[in-house]
Formats: sequence, C-alpha cells, structure tokens
Amino acid sequence: MVRIKYFVKQSWLLIVVSFCFGLLIAAANAAWQGKIQQNEEDKFETIAREMLAEAVSFETAIEKAELQTAKGKKIKTDIKKAIAADGKCAGWAFSCEGSGFADKIKIVLTVDAGFEKITGFGALLSNETPGFGDQIKLPYYRNQFTGIPAGHLTLVKTGQPDKKDSEIVAISGATVSSEAVVKIINHYAEQVKKQLQSKGLVTNDK
Amino acid sequence: MTNNSKVQSGTYKQTLFRGLWRENPVFRLLLGMCPTLAVTVAVKPALTMGLSVIFVLVCSNIVVSIIRKLLKPHLRILMFTVTIATFVTIADLFLKAFVPEMSERLGPYVPLIIVNCIIICRAEACASKNSLAVSIVDALGMGVGFTLTLCILAGVREILSTGAIFEIPILNIQSQGGWFVPWAAMSMPVGAFITLGLMLGLVNAVTKRQTKG
Repeated sequence: MVRIKYFVKQSWLLIVVSFCFGLLIAAANAAWQGKIQQNEEDKFETIAREMLAEAVSFETAIEKAELQTAKGKKIKTDIKKAIAADGKCAGWAFSCEGSGFADKIKIVLTVDAGFEKITGFGALLSNETPGFGDQIKLPYYRNQFTGIPAGHLTLVKTGQPDKKDSEIVAISGATVSSEAVVKIINHYAEQVKKQLQSKGLVTNDK
Repeated sequence: MTNNSKVQSGTYKQTLFRGLWRENPVFRLLLGMCPTLAVTVAVKPALTMGLSVIFVLVCSNIVVSIIRKLLKPHLRILMFTVTIATFVTIADLFLKAFVPEMSERLGPYVPLIIVNCIIICRAEACASKNSLAVSIVDALGMGVGFTLTLCILAGVREILSTGAIFEIPILNIQSQGGWFVPWAAMSMPVGAFITLGLMLGLVNAVTKRQTKG
C-alpha cells in the first residue's frame, strides 16, 4: 500500500498529463483522418489515371488484399479496378512498397485488364537523392515500364531504354533506386496477379 | 509606464532577440543540426519545418511553464518528451491533412522534431524556470531564429542548385539558353555541409569584429 501511495505521489502528474495529451491526439486524429485518407486516395487516383488513360473511375476490386513484403512482413493493400467509359475493365491499379536508397519507396503500379502488360508506375512516396535517385520519377525512366510484359523484370546497366522488353536500363548514378523499383514490381505484381486469379477477376494465365 | 513594467518589457525584448542573433540555435548554439542539414534543399520545406518547430516550441514551453512548479526533478525529462511528442504528432497530422506535398517532402524529419535539441533545451533552460509570458517570448525568439537560419541556408542552396528561389526562376539556367550552370552538389548533403560551414565562419568573423569594436 505504501509503495502504491509512493508511486501515485511521484507520477500522478505524468499520468494526468499523458491522459490529457492522449485525448488531444485522439481529437486531432478524429478531425483530420478523413482529410488525410482523402488526400492519399486523390493522389493514388491521379497517378493511376495518368497511366490508364481510358479509366474514368476506380472501384475497389479486392479490399485489403494481404501481400507479403520482401522482408516477409504482411501488409494490406486495396487492389483497384479501373472502369472505362463503356463500363468495361480498363486495367488494375495497386500500391506497393520497398526499400530505396534514402528511404522507403512507395509506388502505384498499373497493369492492363488481362494482367498481361504493365501500363506504368508512378511514385506515391519517394525521398531519393535529388538529382540522382529521384530520377525514378522522370518520364525517361518511367517510360521503360510502359507496355512491357507483366512478368519478371531484369535491371541492366547498359541497353536500349526505348526497347519494350523485360530489361530495364538503370539510371546512371542511381543503381540502388533503379533496382528498388524493379524489385518492388517483381515482388508484388506476381502476388497481386495470383490474388486476382483466385477471385476469378483475371482469367489469363500467361 | 512604471519602472517595473519598463524593466519587464526590456527583458521581453532581450529574450525575443536573443534567439535571433546572440543565442541563435543554429549559428551560435549549434542545436537542431539534423533538420538544418536535411531539409534546406529548398526554401519551401525549410519554411514548413521552421513553422512546425515554432508551433511545437511555443506549445511545449506553454505547457512546461504552467506545470513547472509541479514537476518532479527526476521525471522532468520524461514530462518534456511526452509534451513535445504530443505537439509534434499534432503538427505531423496537420501537415498530412492540409499540406500533404510538404509532409511528403519532409518525410521523417517532422516526427524527428521530437528529438530536436532546441525544444528540449528551451523547456529545460527557460520554460521550467520562468513565467508563462517569458517562456512564450523565448519560444518565439528561438523559433523565429531557427526558421530564419533555415530559410537563409535553403535560399543559398536553392539558388545555387536550381537557379530559383521559392521555385520561382531567378537565374537564367544554361539548359534554357542562359548562362548559369546549376550546382547539383548544392542539393546534396555535401552542399548542406559546405553552406553551413561557410555561414558559421561568416557569423564568427562578424562576431569577432563586433567584439573588437
């Protein structure tokens, strides 16, 4: 009893203040969470729309699909279906992430309706080195991914960036960042394809 | 104005300007080096970081000053950390909700304000020993001093690395037919160290001259 009394006497202020601060953070979170989520969704759709030109809207095809990161950790992500003006499926879009050179890289990857070709990727979050790693956001690197087969990609140091094949030419001076993007796509595209196939949303088995 | 209030207004003025020059957190106390080096690639993120630090500094100084008489000496650091972490979390949420672009650019450096020495230093050295008004003025002085320093460093680096300031082109860069060749190194960590080193040297030279005078 004496020990409890001593504990309360010593730490009552910390307990009270922590409780008040907890409430303050909860209130701020409740007030702004909707806006934060909306910002993330807007950014996702803007990037996805840029790569799926036919898409007029997006709907969630698989909510919180369970995927495994390269380190074996399980993450949940929404797989979105792009709807064209005629109501048909224009493609699929989902976000995936991995370790870059400076920080985590999070991208939006889009594929065609049959999951045969990659239609592109866009950076959702990237803090790579300005002038070097951040070139993964530039068209000359991103265009290499447009229209290539949605299979295993390989990073090469020299080659023809214009050639539409599974060989991606690394950015000079930013091999780690270039490799990170290729690794992310290789790691997640296959998993997402399997999830869509298991739900009967994609029948192609190439 | 009575003598007492004159003395007080003089103290407030001194406290406010202390953070701008005599005890500038970056140039004189060398505190908060992590954001100083990391977010000064351009003026916009530097300004956002500076304003976030002002918010956290003012709020934490207010809370610490109010509870200063109740603080147990051995629990004070824990109290300061809880207080600072709360306001940093609120600032982080605010940036994510209303300035998402800046929040992404600043990345982990906003949550890292929790371990920024300036804030814990002012809580310990000023707010835990002074009245509410003095604590607020001190927080504003130190915060504005930190923000100005960050913006000056960022201004120099942004102009030299892109030829622009606030993303508005100032110098005619060579790739667009102009004369200025952007220094890519200025946007990298090496640029931050060189600029900070030169600024510190300049501030020391000015101080030496002031002391001799």
